[in-house]
Amino acid sequence: MSSTPSSLPPRGSQANDDERLPVAFTLNGETVDTQVHPLDTLLEVLRDKLRLTGTKGACHEGECGSCTVLVNGIPMNSCLILAPQVQGSDLVTVEGLADGETLSNVQQAFLDLGAVQCGYCTPGLLIAAKAFLETCPDPTPEQIRKGMEGNICRCTGYVKVIDAVIEAAKTMPSLKGARHEQA
Amino acid sequence: MSKPDFAPVGSSVRRNDARGKVTGETRYGGDLAGVDALHVAVLRSDLPHAEILAVDTSKALALKGVVAVFTAEDVPGTNRHGLIRRDQELIASRFVRYTGDAVAVVVAETHKIARRALALIDVDYRPLPGVFSIDEALAPDAPQLHAIGNILTRKPILRGDAEAAMREAHVTVEETYLTQAVDHAFLDLEAGMAYMDGDVLTLHAAGQWVHEERRLLALALGLPYERVRIIQPATGGAFGGREDLGIQIYLALAALLTGKTVRLDYDRAESMTARHKRHPLRIRYQLGADREGNLVAAKVTVHADTGAYASTGDAVMRKSASHATGPYRIPNVQVDVIGVFTNVSPCGAMRGFGAAQMAVGYELALDRLATELGMDRLEIRRRNLIRNGESVTTTQVIPVATGLQCLEEAQTRIGWGQRDYETSQPTLRRGYGISAFCFGLGYGDGFPDASRAKVRFAEDGVLEVYTGAVEVGQGLTTVMAQIAAQECGVDPESVRVIWADTHRTPESGSSSATRQTYFTGSAVQIAASELRLQLMDIGATLLPIHWDDLTIAGGEIRDRHDPTQAVPLDAVLAEGRRRSYSLEASGIFKPPTLPSDPDGLSPRSFITYLFGSHACSVLVDIETGEVQVEKIVAVHDVGKALNPMLVTGQIEGGVTQGLGMALMEEVIRREGKILNSGFTDYILPTMGDVPPIEAVYLENADPGGPYGARGIGEPPLIGTPPAILSAIADAIGTQVTELPATPERVWRAIQEKQQRERSRDLGEPASVRSRQ
Repeated sequence: MSSTPSSLPPRGSQANDDERLPVAFTLNGETVDTQVHPLDTLLEVLRDKLRLTGTKGACHEGECGSCTVLVNGIPMNSCLILAPQVQGSDLVTVEGLADGETLSNVQQAFLDLGAVQCGYCTPGLLIAAKAFLETCPDPTPEQIRKGMEGNICRCTGYVKVIDAVIEAAKTMPSLKGARHEQA
Repeated sequence: MSKPDFAPVGSSVRRNDARGKVTGETRYGGDLAGVDALHVAVLRSDLPHAEILAVDTSKALALKGVVAVFTAEDVPGTNRHGLIRRDQELIASRFVRYTGDAVAVVVAETHKIARRALALIDVDYRPLPGVFSIDEALAPDAPQLHAIGNILTRKPILRGDAEAAMREAHVTVEETYLTQAVDHAFLDLEAGMAYMDGDVLTLHAAGQWVHEERRLLALALGLPYERVRIIQPATGGAFGGREDLGIQIYLALAALLTGKTVRLDYDRAESMTARHKRHPLRIRYQLGADREGNLVAAKVTVHADTGAYASTGDAVMRKSASHATGPYRIPNVQVDVIGVFTNVSPCGAMRGFGAAQMAVGYELALDRLATELGMDRLEIRRRNLIRNGESVTTTQVIPVATGLQCLEEAQTRIGWGQRDYETSQPTLRRGYGISAFCFGLGYGDGFPDASRAKVRFAEDGVLEVYTGAVEVGQGLTTVMAQIAAQECGVDPESVRVIWADTHRTPESGSSSATRQTYFTGSAVQIAASELRLQLMDIGATLLPIHWDDLTIAGGEIRDRHDPTQAVPLDAVLAEGRRRSYSLEASGIFKPPTLPSDPDGLSPRSFITYLFGSHACSVLVDIETGEVQVEKIVAVHDVGKALNPMLVTGQIEGGVTQGLGMALMEEVIRREGKILNSGFTDYILPTMGDVPPIEAVYLENADPGGPYGARGIGEPPLIGTPPAILSAIADAIGTQVTELPATPERVWRAIQEKQQRERSRDLGEPASVRSRQ
């Protein structure tokens, strides 16, 4: 009796490893022009190719939100997007939130109010919070619970995360720069 | 510098690792390796029990891009590991005992090639019959997993005469409670990097006790200790799940045998398949009381499914036994905790460590007893909680036993006296629950338990703390910085903490057992207070004032009676260096515990105990069985909150994991195979599931902890499942006795209750009092 590995087949097994597609997008304000495998996920390209490891993978099936990035202002799970799909898009990752040494209001609120423990979900939560606050600038805790339910945190019990989002809302910069392309 | 009178200890100092975590700069195990690293992948048994007749790696080796394939034959050293018993092989040589045992290790140029190579390895197995439940394992003709048979261990508690006391009790109840296998589900998947640094095998991989991991790896690989170095990267949660060796094994083998830099990244399925779980327990609980509701006897038989290997099972079983009756005064106790091997993934450490499961047993049994006696659930707890100077079940006397104070705080905050059962819809029923518990800190039971720390002023004038303890998200590096800062009068945010590097830091034991605040906190305090004396000695000559009259804070040493007489620490350090003061000090904290006697009793089983009480309200939809938790109050006597923000953060997180255990989390296994090895099917609490949590801490100082502190890692998880289960029972009028209380189980409990009532109405004997 012979064995097969218990895990899923390797990702990208149906395509030639050497196959490449050009893809260009804006990432944290910078133009990126690169070649990707057609089945590479956006998460893989961000982390492995572009070496931006701030965006995390934790479930790789769209359940936990750790890999959330902004695609044209909309928070998306980068583990579920194939890299060629973001051709021409405007992407923001956690590395794009601070302005030099100055943290964004959401980052600062997470740091000040103890919304960070192990920190692994934090990049995804920060991106989700930024997007959420742009659609809901003065949220109640209940609105946050519904609006950010797609991001799992295993450490905090969400209490201080919700506190931080409310605090960030108080210090939101004006929305003049906010995008309004949400579906 | 901080404000003059700012006291770092007791303040909600911001985490010293949070900035990197909010900018994305912090590097976790999977963020370290460069593009040149080779990829490691592990072939795991897909059979739960089999003999390996042959492993043919030739096809895998022939695949382009494959660098090496290793089997058990290639492992130098003993090829064995295990935290308590070395009963597990790094790579299985002859037998596989669960679906997930490692059979071969591939090293390849890319992740994809490594995964493909796994499929090309031919393993010739002879399948063996497996045992997949406690009863199968204990059957007379059951296949035996290990040379010692299918029973890992039995841990007793025998105190008084439980048989006689139970016979004489005014009222007794008996029920069986089933708890489930739970996954730690830390988000940061096992990932790391390893390479040879000269002849030193160097690993960057997250564990919970780097020095012990080094010992185990070195022995298993036949290397001297000093040729293995483990450096812990930033770590995204552990919860007990990183205690057993895992990726370290395969990273070490691959780096040692290829000489190359290697990386390994589990996916979620491999993480959940390979790693140990929380023990599922079958708790048969019999409890008796006198007419007034005073507990007189407990008889508790626990069978724990410990899976395929020992892991930390022996210690978990002991903790289940020593915590079998919780915080209550029961003079006659008979406990038998039996750990049973089965062909499923090993069970071992997880937050709560055998005590969390037992709280479900004693709390729900106590509720049943209250019902039988017609007593309020609060009142029966008030009556039976131990008071200062009374003993827990092991006979250990507890000088600060504040369970009653915690209970009163919880009941007041939930409004126990004003419970409101009105709901908005007829199908919704509200229920209230309350629980009490206690928890022993540290390894206990005579196991050597020590922490060491070093503090020093570095050449750049920065105060440094060296500890081997791992930061896994709990905030340890921040608290240690606070303690050192408190003693040496500097700003805690300026302290540099060097942690968990076996070549640079002293051994501090594991980040587990709710022990690091108590143990390493004490070691840092001892070291830093020694260093403080050096500073005072130097300052006393500089000022010059007798050191009795000096104080140190805000970056200076000053006359406590005349603050204008002061000298800045910079000058003190410069003078100290001129006069050859070491400007460093070490501390060791090693309080003894005593092993239990053959009856499981010990006057000092744990270094100290923490008490807590949770209360909650829930809404149950009696048509669907769905439970919505409305509010949770969680009270713990932490002794002293060294950092209130971190303490409440631990409470809120622990409560949420407890909510998951109560209502949704369950590793479902069939014939030893995990059916829900991803987050689509393994359900974790989301923001939408978690109600407002009131995290409350009391501060009745502990006589032995730093600044009176105890610890808060595990306890917050323990009180929540029984409180929620109690609230569900209050809402539907019957207990759910199997965790998690999914909508289906709640709905069934409601149906069965209705059926019992119909039978009773028809005059049939109420023979079935409880569910199996």
